[in-house]
Amino acid sequence: MFRYIVKRLIEIIPIIFVVSLLIFFFIHLVPGDPVRLAAGKEATLEEIERVRQELGLDKPLLTQYVNYMHNLLTGNLGHSLKTGLPISDMFENRFSVTMTLTFMSLGWALVLGLLIGTISAVFRNKWPDYVGMLTAISGISLPGFWLGLILIQVFSVTLGWFPTGGVESWKSYVLPSLTLGAGIMSMLARFTRSSLLETLKEDFIRTGRAKGLKESVVVRKHALKNSMIPVVTIAGLQFGFLLGGSVVVETVFSIPGMGRLLIDSIAFRDYPVVQAVILLFSLEFILVNLLVDILYKALNPKIRYDS
Amino acid sequence: MKFHDGTPFNAEAVKINFDRMSNKDNNLRAYRNYKYIKSTEVVDEHTVKVTLNQPFSAMINKFTTGIISPAALEKYGKDITKNPVGTGPYKFVEWVQGDHLTVELNPDHWNKGAAKVGKIVYKPVPENGSRVAMLKTGEADVIYPLPEQQVETLNGEEGVKVERTPSTITRYVSINMLKKPFDDPRVRQAINHAVDKDAFIKVVKSGYGTQLESVMSPTIAHYAKQGAYEYNIDKAKQLLKEAGYENGFTTDIWGNTNSDTMKGMQFIQQQLQKVGITVEVKSMEEATLSDEIYGIKSPEEAKMNMWYVSWSSADPDNAMRSLFSSENFPPAGANTAFYKNDLVDQSIKEATQSSDQDKQKQLYGVVQENVFKDAPWIFLAVDEILYGKRANVNGVYITPSGGIYVREAAFQ
Repeated sequence: MFRYIVKRLIEIIPIIFVVSLLIFFFIHLVPGDPVRLAAGKEATLEEIERVRQELGLDKPLLTQYVNYMHNLLTGNLGHSLKTGLPISDMFENRFSVTMTLTFMSLGWALVLGLLIGTISAVFRNKWPDYVGMLTAISGISLPGFWLGLILIQVFSVTLGWFPTGGVESWKSYVLPSLTLGAGIMSMLARFTRSSLLETLKEDFIRTGRAKGLKESVVVRKHALKNSMIPVVTIAGLQFGFLLGGSVVVETVFSIPGMGRLLIDSIAFRDYPVVQAVILLFSLEFILVNLLVDILYKALNPKIRYDS
Repeated sequence: MKFHDGTPFNAEAVKINFDRMSNKDNNLRAYRNYKYIKSTEVVDEHTVKVTLNQPFSAMINKFTTGIISPAALEKYGKDITKNPVGTGPYKFVEWVQGDHLTVELNPDHWNKGAAKVGKIVYKPVPENGSRVAMLKTGEADVIYPLPEQQVETLNGEEGVKVERTPSTITRYVSINMLKKPFDDPRVRQAINHAVDKDAFIKVVKSGYGTQLESVMSPTIAHYAKQGAYEYNIDKAKQLLKEAGYENGFTTDIWGNTNSDTMKGMQFIQQQLQKVGITVEVKSMEEATLSDEIYGIKSPEEAKMNMWYVSWSSADPDNAMRSLFSSENFPPAGANTAFYKNDLVDQSIKEATQSSDQDKQKQLYGVVQENVFKDAPWIFLAVDEILYGKRANVNGVYITPSGGIYVREAAFQ
């Protein structure tokens, strides 16, 4: 197990290397010039050249990449072209904000998704199932920014329960995390339902019932745990969706997180910041999926990690 | 008068700031306006003498750049942008990038008592709907900008007021005069006659705005009203016929991906269709668009035909020299219509060199008259600035150029 984890961690290095190479060259392929955007519409050619030199963007692309990788390997993410601040400083507050948001969303999604999925499976083709699956379909179909604005209108403007945005207290996170988690919650509900229905047909469930176990015990203790593998897999894969969704949700709820930083940096062609954010997102995604693989073992001791 | 850090505000401080901005090696954006300064001398405690290296009448407007405490410049160096120290009624407290910026009342301000609010927090809220919601719930006391379409939802809302103010922002379509068929003035005039400006303001700007009747907003000095191109389809068709385009032609219009811009471009498309001109609407992400327009090697390379855009000018120099002087063809400047008229070039040059206000007025009048006649743009509208505030907020205004004025901020 330990060897497996170490091996997986080592595998991250080449992945990160390839990801960084791809991001670096793709972002430079996109049209748009950070120097012009920084210097403004009325900048003279001379001014533009001076800024370009100052930012080091006059050097050949390959030299820029070598410098970038050199800095990265020494743990230096570089400086923002727009603000001149060290990127690690810019991440300081934003990273924890986005982590809180994404994990809270994942939390809602797991709790509500499993609950709805289980109820729907147990009451298959009865009204709780219909209500549950209708909720799930809505959760997947509603665009995040629209759902966010509706939640603001209802819970902030009309009822006044939660603030419209910001990150002042835990209350600020409630609406954004519900918005962000809605899609995954729905997907988890559907997967839980179908996986649980499969499991409930298994022989050991019949045995359990024959032994005279209470239905609630059969479902909770025996069926649910055995239905979790596909659900956990989906949760891990969908974590990437949460990171991407944070771009929209952080904009709607004016949250100063990594998603907002990413969208602002793309608009400004702030190459080093875009590279750093995407790199960090990739790393998180890889780690979360490693965690999922480890969880498999807890769910099913028959799974082995050698080879 | 003292800076927030206690340093005295005097001629020496002004000299240090002017020297800093006029020094090319500092690579400051302000250099653009301060490069005309040859030297700054301290005459006495409250007087400086500035010598320019060439006559430049607009310099007086460019001096409005803020003066920073010399002690703070010394202390923070390049980090001064993150630690501003000025003399204003509010002093800097903190800036959490991307989240908020806080200022507090300066107890030692020379005009003490004018501003009454103890602390002001500025928060960027990019989403229109969220910004309006914050005003409704009272989380925000003032919001700007207020999108035109949202005004209706705020009218009649208790405790909220919508304010309007004329702006320095002109809205127009820049026409590439180097390209056929736009090299013919009759074609450009025809297009101007073919667009119903009143309908534009009603449909695209929700009724907020006025017709653009010169090359700049009436809020700018030396404005000379030219009257609008009358909406007249027959006249437009007649002009096109004279130019040899009786059956119209096909072209495209560029703009950013903003929903208001899309609406504006579609409006132009639909209007020009009536005189037989087929317009393809191409919206591009802002930085890509900027690259296509300004990132060219030479004017002949420009692919743009028409560009739906706006410009906010600070003074007549910025409104005319930047946009219509032939030395400012992209990539060297913002004359995106590639407008060249020797009389206009000469008048701008003379106005720049004259310190006589009457002469300036006359020269800038010549520029406005000629540019308007030559029609390098579709002249559309002057924007109105819209902002919302809670009814109990006094003394906070948005200036025509979009500045947030808080010098007399108070709660009722």
